[in-house]
Order: sequence, then structure tokens, then C-alpha cells
Amino acid sequence: MTEASSFQVLGRPLPRREDYRLLTGSGCYLDDLEIPGALHACFVRSPHAHARIRAIVTEAAREAPGVVAVVTGRDLAEWTMPLRMAPPIEGLQPTETATLPQDKVRFQGDLVACVVARDRYFAEDAAELVEVDYEELPAVTSIDAALAAGAALVDEALPSNLVAHQHAVHGDPQARFERAHRVVEARFAQARQTHVPIETRGCAAVWDEGRQHLTFHVGTQVPHPLRTQLAARLKLKESQVSVISPDVGGGFGQKIALYREELTVAALARQLKRPIRWREDRMENLIAASHAREDVVRTRTAVTAEGTLLGLELEIREDFGAYCFFPANYLARVVAMILTGPYRIQDYAYDIKVALTNKCGAGPMRAPMAITSWVMEGTMDAIARALGLDPAEVRRRNMLKSADLPYEMPTGERLEDVTPAETLEAALQAIGYDGFRSRQTEARQSGRHLGIGICTVVESTTYGSAFYKAAGIPGSGHESAWVRIEPSGAVNASAGTMSTGQGYETAFAQAVAEGLGVDPAEVTIQLGSTDISPYGMGNRGSRGATAAGGVLYLAACAARDKALAIAAHRLGLNSTESLRLRAGVVEREIGGEWEASDLTLAGLARVAYLDPLSLPEGMEPGFEVHRAYDPPPMTYSNATHVCEVELDPETGLVQILRYVVAEDCGTVLHPQLVEGQQHGAVAMGIGGALYEGLVFDAQGQILTATLGDYLVPTACEVPVIEIVPMHTPNRRTPAGIKGMAEGGVMGALGAVGNAVNDALAAFAVTAERQPFTPDLIRGLARQGRQDG
Amino acid sequence: MKPAPFDYHRVRSLEEAFALLDQYGDEARLLAGGQSLVPMLNLRIGRFGHLVDLNWLQNLAFVEETDARITIGALTRHARLESAPPPVHKGCPILAAAAHNIGHVAIRERGTLGGSLALADPAAELPLMATLLNAELELASSSGTRTVRAREFFITVLTTALEPNEVLTRASFPALGPREGWGLRWLSRRIGDFALVNAAATVSLDTDGRIERLRLALGGTGPTPEALADLEAGQRGAVPDRDWPDAVAAGAAERVEPHSDPHASAAYRRDLVRVLLARALRDALGRAGVEG
Amino acid sequence: MAKVAITLQVNGESHEVLLEPRKLLSDALREELRLTGTHVGCEHGVCGACTVLLDGRPVRSCLLFAVQVEGQEVTTIEGLRRNGLTPLQRALHEEHGLQCGFCTPGIVLTFEAWLRDHPEPSEAEIRNALSGNLCRCTGYQNIVRAIAKAAAEGRT
Repeated sequence: MTEASSFQVLGRPLPRREDYRLLTGSGCYLDDLEIPGALHACFVRSPHAHARIRAIVTEAAREAPGVVAVVTGRDLAEWTMPLRMAPPIEGLQPTETATLPQDKVRFQGDLVACVVARDRYFAEDAAELVEVDYEELPAVTSIDAALAAGAALVDEALPSNLVAHQHAVHGDPQARFERAHRVVEARFAQARQTHVPIETRGCAAVWDEGRQHLTFHVGTQVPHPLRTQLAARLKLKESQVSVISPDVGGGFGQKIALYREELTVAALARQLKRPIRWREDRMENLIAASHAREDVVRTRTAVTAEGTLLGLELEIREDFGAYCFFPANYLARVVAMILTGPYRIQDYAYDIKVALTNKCGAGPMRAPMAITSWVMEGTMDAIARALGLDPAEVRRRNMLKSADLPYEMPTGERLEDVTPAETLEAALQAIGYDGFRSRQTEARQSGRHLGIGICTVVESTTYGSAFYKAAGIPGSGHESAWVRIEPSGAVNASAGTMSTGQGYETAFAQAVAEGLGVDPAEVTIQLGSTDISPYGMGNRGSRGATAAGGVLYLAACAARDKALAIAAHRLGLNSTESLRLRAGVVEREIGGEWEASDLTLAGLARVAYLDPLSLPEGMEPGFEVHRAYDPPPMTYSNATHVCEVELDPETGLVQILRYVVAEDCGTVLHPQLVEGQQHGAVAMGIGGALYEGLVFDAQGQILTATLGDYLVPTACEVPVIEIVPMHTPNRRTPAGIKGMAEGGVMGALGAVGNAVNDALAAFAVTAERQPFTPDLIRGLARQGRQDG
Repeated sequence: MKPAPFDYHRVRSLEEAFALLDQYGDEARLLAGGQSLVPMLNLRIGRFGHLVDLNWLQNLAFVEETDARITIGALTRHARLESAPPPVHKGCPILAAAAHNIGHVAIRERGTLGGSLALADPAAELPLMATLLNAELELASSSGTRTVRAREFFITVLTTALEPNEVLTRASFPALGPREGWGLRWLSRRIGDFALVNAAATVSLDTDGRIERLRLALGGTGPTPEALADLEAGQRGAVPDRDWPDAVAAGAAERVEPHSDPHASAAYRRDLVRVLLARALRDALGRAGVEG
Repeated sequence: MAKVAITLQVNGESHEVLLEPRKLLSDALREELRLTGTHVGCEHGVCGACTVLLDGRPVRSCLLFAVQVEGQEVTTIEGLRRNGLTPLQRALHEEHGLQCGFCTPGIVLTFEAWLRDHPEPSEAEIRNALSGNLCRCTGYQNIVRAIAKAAAEGRT
């Protein structure tokens, strides 16, 4: 792999080519598409969290002005297949989900019927006229209630609401607990959250009756997997479906699954033989799109008197909601797998229970494993407090150093080329950790309560196929690309992924330009259409740079090799060793100096297309390269976040005074884009730590159904984020890329969580449940004061 | 979400508005800034057959200051109160401070004083100001005009003394005296959100340094903004020593009966009264020239 | 309830449209006038993505009915394009102040107006004014930097 320092264009902050259209309002998002004759869909949704559907009366709705059709679960059952979620994983219950429910609704906002009308206003009017006779059932609204004996069943095909249960023991933690100096317990809980992309979901389905072909426009992170599912669910051949993603206004994991609404719209387009479009409104998006993160976690750690980790037990309880659009074990399982992260520990056990409840189903939300770092790092802080040690020292004592690498984690994960100890020191220095304790003491004397929180993150970014296989999950981690040099020398390239704001059109052009040896301005990246892009797994996790950037780089290198082979042949050389491509010109090394030849990429392309008889013996005409790349089973990047907060114990308000991130994400395609991802991820983590939470009442009614109640951070809640870049390449990935984009969420949840608890230590209390609302913090401080 | 259908009436005079209100009664709703009404319509929480658009009654948008009073037309936008010349700062700076805190820039460009008072959200800034200063509100209809003091105007949550056929046309506030201090403290989860609790105070001292005039009001603690009239009267003549703000605030906290919601429990709101009112009083004393 | 005929003055051009009184200005701009640069993020006035200028002042187009603005001048993001990129748009580009771009037009229009009234803003003032526009991608930092840059350029 190439040395980082010798890159020509990788790592340069090139201006984004997406910006011109987005800044001037000439981007094209889903709802901007003009589709002549399109009808509008609107869904009738359940007002109850749990109820049987006794009858649905649609006559009045059908007769309302502008209405073309009203359909229910019975219709969709004829036109589509249900979703069967049954990966062969031990401890995971298989589930089957109809396209629209027929028998009962399982959460407030669940689907009941779909109205199709001339415009959305008429459709909403008609939706109000659909009469549904519900028989209410008891609502299960918490993990404890779901798992209690005799609880109402959310999915009546399952024996209980326990949809996944996994446990494992590595080493001998029990023995460690018996011989420990101390056993420290810590608890952590997160509220239910949701992604809130500023662009809600939506889609448009166009059925070509003549060709029997469906074109499905949808803002998606995963065009090909979506197409595969859509075709299967519609009982169509895969070649009868094209998925095209326009510009997407944010995904964060919410735009991966094939949702029931989307499938309904597609089926309707085919049945009615009219184009149908759907735009989700914000209330639907908050209540019924996809929820995430409602976890309750407990750790028990066996430690020596010096704070060395001996054994660790992890218990996770997750509230998965009512439906499984993803395997129910998947999210919590990653937490368990990577929890020990940067620490030396081999005796480790975990127990994960995932329950169904009467809430919107869960899905991956930027860093689905987000709670991991808060849990591990919060545990380290708990150990430090229990033993009266400095939290940084406790970490140093246990953290993997470069001499420990490669390190096999107890769960079998292999860590190499990670630098947690280095990022820890860099972040501590940047924030002035050494002087902090005396500042904290001084501040307390004048009635101010400061706290500092450290969070080291080891982020699993890119999952290779070997990972899925070992985990028993069907699926692949590979990515594909093609690079094509046109007869004019222009370069087109594509990979099987889609941008939802990451700037792939720019960064991937750099990856191709680097591999090929041209100016990035000559490269155009095409993404989002299953008719154009090769089959790929899409944009999820933090795999974009490693998987798609990586495979584009490899394909470009192969294209370069072909170009140089043609050049060598034309120059009468029998090897390409002394040749290279720079800015589209073939250069030749003569006497230790590189000189430009008169061969250009454009000239070589012309030969390849128009004069193939002049190509080297055995070389195919044309100039298109296709590559697929399966990354290593897992690729990791790492960072340390440190933040300083001030707590007002009178009001419970938390203010973030400083926020520092020392980050190692390997080779960076584009430093400005990487920083932007860090800023956004940290902001989302701050949201989870201090502001975001979906609240339900005892009947499962959601109390936070608008953006006035579900609080996403604004510019006043996010501090300036100081980033210290420290990038060391990964030895196994193309160009040493590691990927990133989710670690910031993990780091912020942990750094802010730990900083608040550091400030609360003066009151001898711990905050265990995020978001740390002022009410919660004030209550803890008051309780701490009362307890003396 | 899209609103249910309605008929739209743009009025060019108050008389036209009165006639429509008389004609359509409960089916009609006045549209001023729309920053609270239109979200309700979009979410289909409220629906009305007739929307009467007041935005073209330019003679209802004004700010008149005399030495003793500031009279503000109902259609005056928050952005105007916040900072536009002539600054309201001169006579009643607490009004400008309150207006600046309302929502966000684009909300303040449309939201109106009349709309905010008529909506009567218990945590809103301008109803709190009107209550604090016991503003004189002019209500007009086809039957004539009447004046209601703010402390009698707010009945309960989102409910005022306005009759269905009345339009609130102006509000008149007392100017603060030259040595009258003011304080306004609130707590919201984020900038621009409705306050969980809002605490406001004005204070002036006599030449002996005793409380001459005290005004106290809270928002977010009950179904309407609350004036603490008995505390106001009872503190006259008191000497505001270092502990005085806390004592007054503690007294206020005992009097309120706040509610609980997803954002804050009743107990927390009560705590906030104690903390925020004390801070507001300290601010007010500072502005009145009292040190420490 | 029936459709009414109105004239909308948008970006310096007159448009005759026929629509229901309840049609939101955001929808009318996007559908009747096919100006899709104004984005809809919530329809309850919180996210700010739909912000346009009404007689030069920033307002939420999702909280206005199209019929209300007859007689006033509406400026959308497309209305800025006549003269190339504005200094603010250029600054956002240089500072990487946008990722998915969905919130961007609302921010640009808010600050084209706000910077005219506040030519020397502090960072705190910028953040306070920006708090009315939600962004889920950028964490705001680069947007703030871009606005400060545009303000500084405006002063030279």
C-alpha cells in the first residue's frame, strides 16, 4: 500500500463539487422531482399503541374530492410478500411482518390504510374520513413490562416479547470476580431517540406498463439492496426494478430499510398504473419512521487495588419497539462485541436481552453502538472514583499500547493499527488536563461546579464479509466500482453506494484521481442509480471511505496499470516500471528524473476504443475496469474525546466549556470533509447526552411528536469542537483508509456523560440516564446535598 | 401536515373585521403573525371555516412613547419591539429584552404583540410582561371599545377575556421610572424554546433605600402568567439586604402550583421559581443602583 | 374553500396562480411556481428549512398561506442566483458549511437579511441568530465560520 506522505491528491481539501447546486437551491431532492400525472399517497395511522383492527370502512374516503383509491392490508397482502426477518442466529426469534397490518396495530402511528388522491391536501382530508373500528389492547411500554410474566404479546406469533437473547462467556470472569480487590458496578441508560434528518422520508414510484418495469425514486443510502428487496416483495424479477436516488437530505441510518410505506406506494403504482408519490411529514417521521438507542446497561468489573481490569460483565436490555425491520440482535450485539475496545482484558461475559414493545420499531441510527464508549469509559470513571484514583491514570494502566498490537479482543475481534493511547495523551494535553483538578477545586470554592470527561473510542467502521459469516449474519461487506476512461480522456466512475451529504462526489473523485494519476477535476462520480452503478452494499456505518473509496482506488489503480501497459507498448518498452501517470500525462523516468512523454490518457483512450489493433497482444479493446473489494473482517479507527463542562446545581443546566477530539482515522481522503463529519457526529452525541428523548405515557401515547418537543441541538447547544488530527494508516486497506463518521457520536455521549458525572462527584451522586435534563441534574444535586 | 379547508378574508379596516366576527362567530379566527396559529392549523389541532387576516391593518402597527407610558399597537411585530428605532429601550427596556427572547429571528419578523397576548400561552414572554406591568389592553368590537387590565385579562390556559367578536387593538405599558430597575430570568432547554419558568421583576427604592415599588410576575408556573400581588404589596418598605431576594423568591415558590410535563416536573418548576426569581430580583436591584 | 386567483410577486417576477386559500406559501412556491429550492422540513415553524424573504425580511414560508402575501415581494434562494454566488454562499462553500444541503437555502436567506442588520456580529450573536435553523449534518461550526467570514468581507 502507498505511503501516506506520497499521495498526490488524497488528503487535500478540494472544494466540494456538490456545493454549487445545493447552495443555489438547484439540487434535486425526492420531492423536487417533477413526475407528470403523479398521484399522492397519505397513510391512515393508528391513534392507539396496541389494538385489534375490527373493521375499516373506506366508503366516505373513497368518495371524497380528488380521491382515486383507498387500500388496506388485505389489498397489500394480495400484491406483495411479507417481510421475513429470520437470520440463522442463535437466540434470535424469526419474525414476519405484513406490508400493511390486517389484524392489529402495534404502536401509535402504525399503518392502517393508504389513501391516494390528486394532491396531498385532498389525501389528508380523505384520510380523516376513513373509519376504523379498534378494540384497544393493553399497551406494553417498557422493557420490564414487556418481559414480565403475563405481558400482552406484541407479536402474537412469538412465545413472548423476548425477541433476542444472547450471552457469551470469554475466559473466566467468575474466577476473576472471586479474587478481585473490588467489584465495581455501574449503570447507564439512554432514552429512545430518532434520526431527524432535515429531509423526511419519501418516494415516487413510476410503473411502465408497456415494459412491465418499475422505476422507484427514493432517497436511500443503499440503492441495490433496496432494489433486491423491493423486487422480491413485489414478486417481480430484479431486472424489472430500477432504484434511483436523487440528492438526499440526510440519512443517518434512517434511509436503509425498505419501509412498508415505500412498498405500498410501489405496489399501488403498479396496480393503478399511475405514478404515485409520497412525502412523509415531520410528525410521521418522529412517530413512525425508525427509533433507536433505548438501552439499559449494567457493568460489573473486577479490579485490583491499582485499578487494573481483571474481569468484566456486561448486561444490556434493549427496547426494540414493535417490528423488526432489522435483526433484533444486531445493534446490541455490536456493543457487546467491541465494548472492551482499547483495554487489555480477556475475561469478559455479556448477556443481551432485546424486547418488543408497542413503540415504533428500532433501526440503526448513526453509531448504533453509540452507548459502547460511554459504558466502557463511564465504567473506568466509576472504578477511579471507587478506588480514589485519577481517571486518566486508570485508563493508562489498562490501555493497549502499540507494543500490545495486534491484539485479539476476548470476542475474537482483532485490533491493529489503532492508537488509543496516543489519542488519549494528545487529547488530555490539548485540554490542559494536568491543571484541571486544581482549577476545579478553586472553582468549587467560588461556587462553580466544573467537570471533565474523557472518552476513548474504538470505532468499528467497515465490516467485511468474514465478519458477517463469523457472526452468522447473511450479508456481505464488499463494495464494487467501475472506472471508465472515455475516448476523450474524461473519467467516469461509480460505486455501489450513495451519498446523503458526505461529499462522495468530491472525495471519491479524489480516490479515483489518486489511483489513476489524473486531476480530480477530470473525474465524475455517478452514484445512486441501480442501472448505472455496480451492485454494492451502500452507505452505512462508516464504511464509505474504506469500502467505496477503497474499491474506487483499486479500480483506478487497475485502470492506471492498463494505461501504462498501453503506453509501454507504444514506447517500445517491455515493462511499465519506469512509467507513471501524473495529471493525465505519461511520465517516464530517465536517468533518475521524471520527464513528460507526449502520451496522454486521452490519447491512450482513443487507441483503446478506436485503434484496438495497436493495443498490446491479448489486451481487450475499450477502457473500463470493474473491481470488487471485500475489506478485512473489521476495520477500526479510534479517537479520544475530552470535554469540560460547568454545571449549575441550582438549575441543573449543563454548559460545555471546551470540547477536544484527538482523532486517528487512518488515511484521510479529504480533511475538511472528515472534520465536518466529526462536527456533525459530536453534535448528535451532545443531542443524545443532553437533549434528545422520545417520551411515551403509560398508554403508549407519544408526548414528543413535534420538533418543539423532540429537541435536536441548535447552534447554541453545540460548542466549538477542537480537533487534533493524528492519522496512522491501516496496513490492510487500500491507501490505509480506516473510515470514520460515527465515532463522534460515541465519543460525545461518553465525554459529556463522564464530565457531568465528574462535576456531580462533589455531590456524591451519579447521573445514569441520558438525556441529562436540567430536571434530572437538579434533582440529583439536591439529593446529594440532602444526603450530606 | 396540511390544514383543513377554510375561507380567507383579508380586511382593510377594523370595521370589516368586526363584521366578519359578528357574522361567523366561533367559525372565524383572527390571523395576525400566525406563528402559533398556523402550526395548529397544519397539524389539524384547530380548524376554522373562516380566517380573518389582520395583517393589512397598518394603523395597528405602532409604538408611541410618552414620559409615562408606552402604547403599542396589536400588530406590532416582535422584531420591532426588540430593536427597531425608535428603541423601546428608552422607556421600558424590559419589553425589548422579553421580545428578543421570543423564538427565533424569522418568528419575530411575523409574530405580533396582539397575537401573543390573545393566544395567552402561560410561558410566553409578552403575556408575562403585560401581567408584570399590568398593561391596559384595549378590546374593540362592533359594540365599541373597552379596556381591561392585563391581570384580569388572562383567564386560563390559552383563554382570555376576549369575547368571540372582539379584537385586541393595543396595549399600554407604564414606562419605568428613572431609577427603577428590572430583571428578567428564564430557563428553557434550548435557546428560543418556550421557557420552563419565566421570572420578571421591577423594583424602585425610596431615598431611604427601602422598597418603594415592587412588581413580580412568573410564567410557566400555572395556567396563566401569575402576578404575585400579595408579595408585591407586602414587601413595600422592606430593606433589600443580601438575603432579601432569596426570601422573596422562597415566598413565591411556596405560592405556585406548577404542573408536570415531559420537559419538567412540578417540583423542578418550583425550584426554578426560587432560583430564577431571586436572580431576577438581584438584577433588578443592580439596575436600580443597589450594590452587592 | 374553492380556489382563488392571486398574483404572486416572486424574485422580481409576477405569477398568476389559482389555488386554495389553505395552500401554504412553501407548497405554492414549490408546486405552482416550481421553485423547489425552498425546502419543507417540518411545517410547524421550527426547523427553518423553508425560510424565504418577505419584503426583505426572513419568514417561515410554511407558516404563511400563499393568499396572504399577494401584494408583497417574496425572495427565494433562486432569487439570489441572478448575480452569481453571494459572498455568504461563497463563504459557505469555502468553509465546508454544508453537507446534505437541505437546510442550506433557509440559512442563506436568513443571513442575507440578518447580516445587513448586523454587519459586525460576534460569534455568540451569530449562533443565537442561527439557532432558528436546524442542521443535523454539520454541527454548525463551519456555518458559523462562514457567516463570520461573509460579515468580514462585507465590511472591507
